Amino acid sequence: MSRKLIEFRDVSFRYGEEQPWVLRNCSFEIYEGEWVAIIGHNGSGKSTIAKLINGLLFPQKGEILIDGQQVNEETIWDIRKEVGMVFQNPDNQFVGTTVQDDVAFGMENRGTPREEMVTRIEETLSAVGMEDYRFTEPHRLSGGQKQRVAIASVLAISPKVLILDEATAMLDPKGRTEIMRTVSNVQNKEDLSLITITHDLQEVVQADRVIVMNKGEIWDRATPREIFSKKDSLREIGLDVPFVAILADELKETGINLTKEPLNHEELLEDLWILHSQT
Amino acid sequence: MDITFTNVSYIYQRNTPFAHQAIKDLNFHIPSGSFVAIVGHTGSGKSTLLQHLNGLVTPSEGEVKIGEYKLTPKEKPTNLKELRSRVGVVFQYPEHQLFEETVAKDIAFGPENFGVPKETINERIKRVIPAVGLSEDMLERSPFDLSGGQMRRVAIAGVLAINPDVLVLDEPTAGLDPRGQKEIMEMFNTMHKEQGLTTILVTHSMEDALKYADHVIILNKGTKYMEGSPEEVFTQKDALKQVQLDVPEVIQLLNAFEDKFSISIPFHGQTVQEIAETIHSIVKDGVSNE
Repeated sequence: MSRKLIEFRDVSFRYGEEQPWVLRNCSFEIYEGEWVAIIGHNGSGKSTIAKLINGLLFPQKGEILIDGQQVNEETIWDIRKEVGMVFQNPDNQFVGTTVQDDVAFGMENRGTPREEMVTRIEETLSAVGMEDYRFTEPHRLSGGQKQRVAIASVLAISPKVLILDEATAMLDPKGRTEIMRTVSNVQNKEDLSLITITHDLQEVVQADRVIVMNKGEIWDRATPREIFSKKDSLREIGLDVPFVAILADELKETGINLTKEPLNHEELLEDLWILHSQT
Repeated sequence: MDITFTNVSYIYQRNTPFAHQAIKDLNFHIPSGSFVAIVGHTGSGKSTLLQHLNGLVTPSEGEVKIGEYKLTPKEKPTNLKELRSRVGVVFQYPEHQLFEETVAKDIAFGPENFGVPKETINERIKRVIPAVGLSEDMLERSPFDLSGGQMRRVAIAGVLAINPDVLVLDEPTAGLDPRGQKEIMEMFNTMHKEQGLTTILVTHSMEDALKYADHVIILNKGTKYMEGSPEEVFTQKDALKQVQLDVPEVIQLLNAFEDKFSISIPFHGQTVQEIAETIHSIVKDGVSNE
């Protein structure tokens, strides 16, 4: 088993003494190089987890370890070098007047030498397919392009973990596809751990593992295939199931025995094709 | 109210070096009472089209007719305010427009501006609050203490409280969780039917367009690319792909099925259960039951 990169030990969080608990007794691990999707209804605690990971918030109970180091006031600056985040709104995360200035910003704050910055800018912009836009002003980019630059800016500081907090929610379908392609390329090349907080089912099925949140507690954790086989209980906690899983259920009702819970069209059709060839 | 666009063009910052044509020679007709989805990728002119519907902009060329109101390059209706009280627009992320101290005051803001008497406003608030799935005990709370989904509902209630005949929705479910998305769309659908509204939905979601609309208009580069019933439009995979749009997932699956089995299952609005039965008979018996 690879190394534990993130560990939550019995973590609880609330915004104030009188406020209800937003997270209750959460324990989980995320390993090096792993892609984990966190899903759950609005207000289930997903984004709170992200903010706890890079020390934007601190838990009242329990502890959080990032690469073996506990997250607290003293360690947050080190930890934020390890954890990069991309947020929902592409218009809220630009500081530079050109794309390359923006990518440089994080490195400037960390005192990266100029020569290294120049190479990192080239590397990360080409990793997200934005190398032709180095001198473009951010407001001239589409939503999907902006989010790709945001990802490049985060990658420039070579984090071990990349968190996408609903980073595709405000994009059109084309922008979403761009981002997901970029992210999976980057993850393959850079050996990053990836945490995607999302409602988008297409993003969930691509993950290695899924953590399902419900009312501040961990409701389930398993592979996407196992998660989507629990359709009725997922619906009960306000989540959606992919169309292919719904169709698979209806097919089972008609008496077709599928060998596994399909995650995409190809898997379902392949299964049906084998059945068809046997009859 | 019937809505008709005749040869409509719209140019931003006309006669300047920054001139940009957002809509070009656009023609369509929306009969009163229909539920129309307007689909197109970012930059296709959807939002500009929408701003014509309550006279936020007037066409650079051509004519827009909304019921008896007429917008042309030369004339705006003198009773623009009246038009706006009959066409309710729910903009993207409408919760960003909340500003009042209480939910009740925020909902009342629209109708007050249109001169609706206080008693009538109070009656309307009582009616719209349950319609958007909120409870009356929220009325005295600050809208800023509510969750994102609840804030969106308050903003929508404010538009409904002006009692519009035409409801224009610009991606009303963006950013909500799946349950919230479904609840909001079901709510609009119920209202559309019960109150005989004309509903115009601007959306990226082919699934919603297929599920709720009875007519679909596809925009590309500021002009109409296709229109028709959802079944007619969404079965034209290649034409849609040309303008970077996908077909709804159910049709994608049926297309993939045809590629693999060389048997086509034409889509005409079947339920998932009916599709499963058709697939069953092909897989087991090699023939379609249709």
